[in-house]
Amino acid sequence: MNKMVEVSICYGTLCFVMGGAAFEMMGDKLPDDLKDKVAIKGMNCPGYCNTQEQGRPPFVMVNQKLIAGANLNKVIEFIRKEVDHGTNQ
Amino acid sequence: MAQTNNATLIRREIITRLCRLYLENRLEDIDRIALEMAPRNGTQAGGNRCCIHKSRAIIKYRVMALLGFNVSDETDELESLYSYALRALSHTEPEKGVLTVVDEACTSCVKSNYVVSNLCRGCLASHCMVICPKNAITMEHGQAKIDPLKCVGCGLCKDACPYHAIIYVPIPCEESCPVKAIYRNAEGVEEIDYDKCIHCGRCMVACPFGAVMYRSQIINVLHDISKPGRQVIAMLAPAICGQFKASYAQVATAVKNLGFTDVFEVAEGAVLTAKEEARELEEILEQGQQFLTTSCCPAYVELTEKQLPALKPYVSHTPSPMRYSAEMVTQKYPEATIVFIGPCVAKQAEARRYPGIDYVMTFEELGAMMIAMKVDLQTFEAITEEEALPERRFAMSNGVLDSVAAYYKGPSLSPLVISGLHKKNIASLRRIATGKHEWNMIEVMACEGGCLAGPAGISSPEVARKLFNTQAGVVTEQPAM
Repeated sequence: MNKMVEVSICYGTLCFVMGGAAFEMMGDKLPDDLKDKVAIKGMNCPGYCNTQEQGRPPFVMVNQKLIAGANLNKVIEFIRKEVDHGTNQ
Repeated sequence: MAQTNNATLIRREIITRLCRLYLENRLEDIDRIALEMAPRNGTQAGGNRCCIHKSRAIIKYRVMALLGFNVSDETDELESLYSYALRALSHTEPEKGVLTVVDEACTSCVKSNYVVSNLCRGCLASHCMVICPKNAITMEHGQAKIDPLKCVGCGLCKDACPYHAIIYVPIPCEESCPVKAIYRNAEGVEEIDYDKCIHCGRCMVACPFGAVMYRSQIINVLHDISKPGRQVIAMLAPAICGQFKASYAQVATAVKNLGFTDVFEVAEGAVLTAKEEARELEEILEQGQQFLTTSCCPAYVELTEKQLPALKPYVSHTPSPMRYSAEMVTQKYPEATIVFIGPCVAKQAEARRYPGIDYVMTFEELGAMMIAMKVDLQTFEAITEEEALPERRFAMSNGVLDSVAAYYKGPSLSPLVISGLHKKNIASLRRIATGKHEWNMIEVMACEGGCLAGPAGISSPEVARKLFNTQAGVVTEQPAM
């Protein structure tokens, strides 16, 4: 069986207030064909928000790749890329 | 109604920056916010504007609103934000109106709702010109042109055009306002008529440019917290249970860490509201009055005062949970500054009318304050609550009705729930006030689904409902729409 795509959502208050709250719906909003291929979990604030270098919050990791300024569509797009071409084959 | 879009996030970022400057004792740098958020050769925060100077001007007016001022009260364009900040701290009583329009941000909207597209053939018949009752249409260079100063938006030209060349372009704030309180004045700037405005916050949510802002009191709250020996009490509205990924107890601990002396749950005040409203309902039905409506939603109460006077006699006289809560807090802390924190714009208008509530803050401001003070909910131990007040349901449509019904002992209830004060529901209320119907108890909330969908919440309504269902610890039903 293929390895699951790992999605880690920053549960820090900053990310949550600056748009991360939307990821509460992640499980519901995943397209049907991706639903059983994704493992969603929370992560403690990795501190990316302390500098501007990593981009803007909210931060999400998909298979250890960082997405800044994340939103649902952007993350789903990343997940699809990982499923199609990523290290999950 | 709270939505996470770039306009909302920019507002939250400015609030956070404002808090930081105050806390770091650097308010004199407040005029730099605009420069930092719209830097030269940067694209942040204003990439869609014509130039950085305009972006900066708009940010300046946003800060002005967040310092508590009405943007249209500016008399000297050179007055610095630092000067406004000092004036805000010396705290003069705010005049009427909680919402204000950053008119600089308004210019992107169409000048009139009807626009001639390039599909216009400049036809000989010129039905549009003939039918226009205001002579607003002229033919220029082979195409019809509408003079926005003359156009009254009747739409006759659109219907008359055989090429469907005239289109209706909405002005989102006007479109969303259920009481026609926001309109374009003679200078072409959106203006709010405070004699009509019920502070529902729909225009603020609707404006894609974030041009409508609430006048914040956060700087006054920070200022009182910083005063040695001053007690400042936070009263958290029931909708708090849908705002963060944490239990009420956790949030309350975090709020204390922001420097508040104590935290009070407004659901406790809601218990008194529910009991008293049940008693009042029994009493008025016995006296032969046909029905009673709830009174906890301030936008609805303002609606009855400003638009539906025929309904006013049926509005419950029971104080809102906020007012009961303020009484309870005052008994315990007679000298304290009392701050109500909720998802609502209209609560600030309500608080100004009654003694006991000093300031009103929004949930997004609470979130920004946590960011500025680096108070992270994640770092607090998860506390599971043993018992939850069922009156937390005041945050949802149906919830107030259920809470009142729990204490009610009169003849059988024939209840109605009005969820959302949009134009259609306001028309229904108008019929209810004057026509025949069988309802005897009517719950009204301005936001669809209740306070969880408030305009200044952190989470979108669907997220707030989900979080509330998992964390509030009370049984809820799907709200009526």
